[in-house]
Amino acid sequence: MAQVPVQTIHRDPQLFYWILFPITIVMILTGVLRHYATVLMASAPKKQDQKTTREQRSLLHGINVRGNYHVLSKPSLTTRRDALITAYESGAYLKNPDGRGQPPPNPMSDPSAMEGMMGMMKNQMAMIIPNTLIMSWINAFFSGYVIMKLPFPLTIKFKSMLQAGVATRDMDPRWMSSISWYFLCIFGLQSVFNFLLGSENAASQMAQQMNQMGPQGAGQMFGPGVDPNKQFLAEAENLAVIEHHSVLDGVEQRLLAGIKV
Amino acid sequence: MPSEQELQIQISPIVQESLVHNSRTLYNLQSITASLFGVSAGILGLESYAGFVFYVALSLLTSVLFYVLRVAPTSLASGKSPLDTSRYFRGAYDFWAGGLMNGFAGFVLTWTLFYGLVTA
Repeated sequence: MAQVPVQTIHRDPQLFYWILFPITIVMILTGVLRHYATVLMASAPKKQDQKTTREQRSLLHGINVRGNYHVLSKPSLTTRRDALITAYESGAYLKNPDGRGQPPPNPMSDPSAMEGMMGMMKNQMAMIIPNTLIMSWINAFFSGYVIMKLPFPLTIKFKSMLQAGVATRDMDPRWMSSISWYFLCIFGLQSVFNFLLGSENAASQMAQQMNQMGPQGAGQMFGPGVDPNKQFLAEAENLAVIEHHSVLDGVEQRLLAGIKV
Repeated sequence: MPSEQELQIQISPIVQESLVHNSRTLYNLQSITASLFGVSAGILGLESYAGFVFYVALSLLTSVLFYVLRVAPTSLASGKSPLDTSRYFRGAYDFWAGGLMNGFAGFVLTWTLFYGLVTA
């Protein structure tokens, strides 16, 4: 098989100064801007009234007792468990004890729920708007240029993605246009932002999307549409089935085993 | 009664915050070194397989150096076997091979950039 000759394309070095560097700098600055915009737009947690706080904290109390019962002595656990189960089942901690057994209100009509949705909307907007703007900016000014060569070969399938706007049929897919440099920047700039802004930054949209897919446990637990009475009853049941043992069980043997003579 | 493993965790609990801090430090190191590897691969003008092998070898070397310099002194002293990172990190796979995943995008970015700049 004959060796395919390496394609060489003579490009103006000015392409780097007028296309590559502007795109990179704009991408980095957008990330920094997005980080600070997220920091500034983050609304302070809303103050809750006493009843709501009591409802949430008492449920957390039950969960913590269930998680850490092994550091309590047996009578201590029994007292706590009895008190909590009685209170849970009688609904003493509920925000409005009259509303037991009724279906939860529509989450759309609850103003505090709307607040949370607005926060999510704001984050989404902070991601979508800059992306759309930059995409159309690159398409308007820089489409149709071949600026760089990838250092690794790719199959022909990537051609339509990497060489969008360059209608040359026989060109090696390794040559990439400005829009594909933009995509590389989206994926790869996370480490630069880590370096610039610290690792808890909000600059990269990739990381944010990962977070959104991640656990939603803490937020959902007291979210709208969840019936606190049912949560209390479930927690009472969980507490009731605890079989007590203590970390201090058999501690003498462990101590003696640890002593080296 | 709880299993042996649960009992072990209850007797000597793990502080979640410290664990998170450790993995975050490791992640920062990995992403920054991956970008620097990309810069050096681009300047050296490596292409295709040579570049990827360069990256894999250097990031494994980073893990080994991190182990030898930061983890090993206290970990071996506390009676762990060699190459055991469980004193500071959960999951040996994340420690040794996590850098390959975390830094890959950054590596490709800087590799492409510097390859393009140098060979233009």
